[in-house]
Amino acid sequence: MVELELTVNGKACMLKIEPGERLIDVLRQRLGLTGTKEGCGEGECGACTVIMDGRTINSCVVLAIQAHGRDITTIEGVGNRIRPHPVQRAFVEEGAVQCGYCTPGMVLAAKALLDKNPDPSPQEIGAAMSGNLCRCTGYDKILRAVQRAAREVTGT
Amino acid sequence: MKKRGTGLGCTWYGTGYGNGFPDVSSAFVEIHDDGTAAVLTGAVDVGQGSSTVFAQIAAEELGLRPEDILVCSGDTDVTPDSGTTAATRQTYNTGNAVLKAVRQAKLRLQEFGARKFSCPSPEGIELKDGMIGVRGDPSRSMPLSELAWEARLLHGERFISASSFTAQTTAVNLENGQGAPYWPYAFGCQAAEVEVDTDTGTVRVLKIAAAHDLGRAVNLTQVEGQIAGGVAQGVGYALLEEVELAEGRIKNPAFARYLIPTALDVPEIESMIVEEPEDTGPYGAKGLGEPAMLPTIAAIINAIDAAVGVRITSLPATPEKILAALAEKQRGGSGG
Ligand code: FES
Ligand code: FES
Repeated sequence: MVELELTVNGKACMLKIEPGERLIDVLRQRLGLTGTKEGCGEGECGACTVIMDGRTINSCVVLAIQAHGRDITTIEGVGNRIRPHPVQRAFVEEGAVQCGYCTPGMVLAAKALLDKNPDPSPQEIGAAMSGNLCRCTGYDKILRAVQRAAREVTGT
Repeated sequence: MKKRGTGLGCTWYGTGYGNGFPDVSSAFVEIHDDGTAAVLTGAVDVGQGSSTVFAQIAAEELGLRPEDILVCSGDTDVTPDSGTTAATRQTYNTGNAVLKAVRQAKLRLQEFGARKFSCPSPEGIELKDGMIGVRGDPSRSMPLSELAWEARLLHGERFISASSFTAQTTAVNLENGQGAPYWPYAFGCQAAEVEVDTDTGTVRVLKIAAAHDLGRAVNLTQVEGQIAGGVAQGVGYALLEEVELAEGRIKNPAFARYLIPTALDVPEIESMIVEEPEDTGPYGAKGLGEPAMLPTIAAIINAIDAAVGVRITSLPATPEKILAALAEKQRGGSGG
């Protein structure tokens, strides 16, 4: 067992883990944050996306210990039903959710983009979202939702 | 060199299990004391939106808002069987079962209302905006919640119903080809514009225009979502996706080697909704799910042909196949 210290959704966490544990397992199983989904388990689909120190990562291919001392945001830290993040609200308003399995990762990818670049071009949005696979929506409404959220964030 | 072309693909598609296979959906409905209602069906919403459609249907009949309807679906402990979420059948089949069940419960409500308001026939009782009362006479009406509450607590009346819908299908006679294997049929037509790079063989789909006859759009946002999802899967089918098998084993069971479209691979999509009501469907609706992806494939392959004059006859149309076909064409051309 090793000691792991990290910040998750603004809260400091200290826990003992096996050295080989993946970040996604620590988030889902040890911390109960099951909003993060596992799709492929090999870094290809983006379902397990979380934000680490401002950058999106695939939590299925990151060891938990690599997050030592880091700041992690999961979907639970983005917003909730009562106070949704602009990206979440835009996803609902555009109808960008079908089965929903890709959605937490999509929302985090969009949030990470808008945090850095509040006024992205359609090309920049496409590129930023292209690491997250969706089998249901054809991306059309997802891309619209990100544009809508950008407009809301920048107040245009 | 980059060359552009357009192509067309058309589809007709029999919805439901077909060929005489029993195709039955069931639904339970209960109108509660508080004037809301519950719909129970075995239909599983996998994201296409069937639960929303059922809530809309029940709300429409009962004069309520969709958010007043609790849809409980796909729980074998409590819901009646509604078959699989497959064959483009849930909006049509289970939608019909829900509509029948809701109308049954509503009729009991109307009968109670007719007695309550001294109205000669239940048809004279209207449900609208959460109210129940005599059609055309607002002075004789009350909130549905009050009437339902009074009916149960003072008279022991329950507004509960169960109904089933069975799609029409007969087996095809293999001797003479006669029979009615499917009903209804869905129709669609899509046009694709592509750009083919003759040096690399890669194809970029620039735009898909998709026209689909779905009888009646119960939920427009979901319809657009189904079309866009279908188009993206069609793009994958046409250009990227191939299950490679070796001795019964899949050789590429990973997204790194079985490519599906990303946000960068999908074209601009323009959807056109054709509403030609289907008499046997709920409010004229029929399915859209699978038909949305079918014409995409033919439209893209035809557009490649229009752009560079090669006919790809096996899917997916990979750059290797296109380059080989272009080389073959050149040889054929120079060899005369
Ligand atoms: S589950 Fe991590 S990338 Fe697919
Ligand atoms: S909504 Fe189903 S995978 Fe994206």
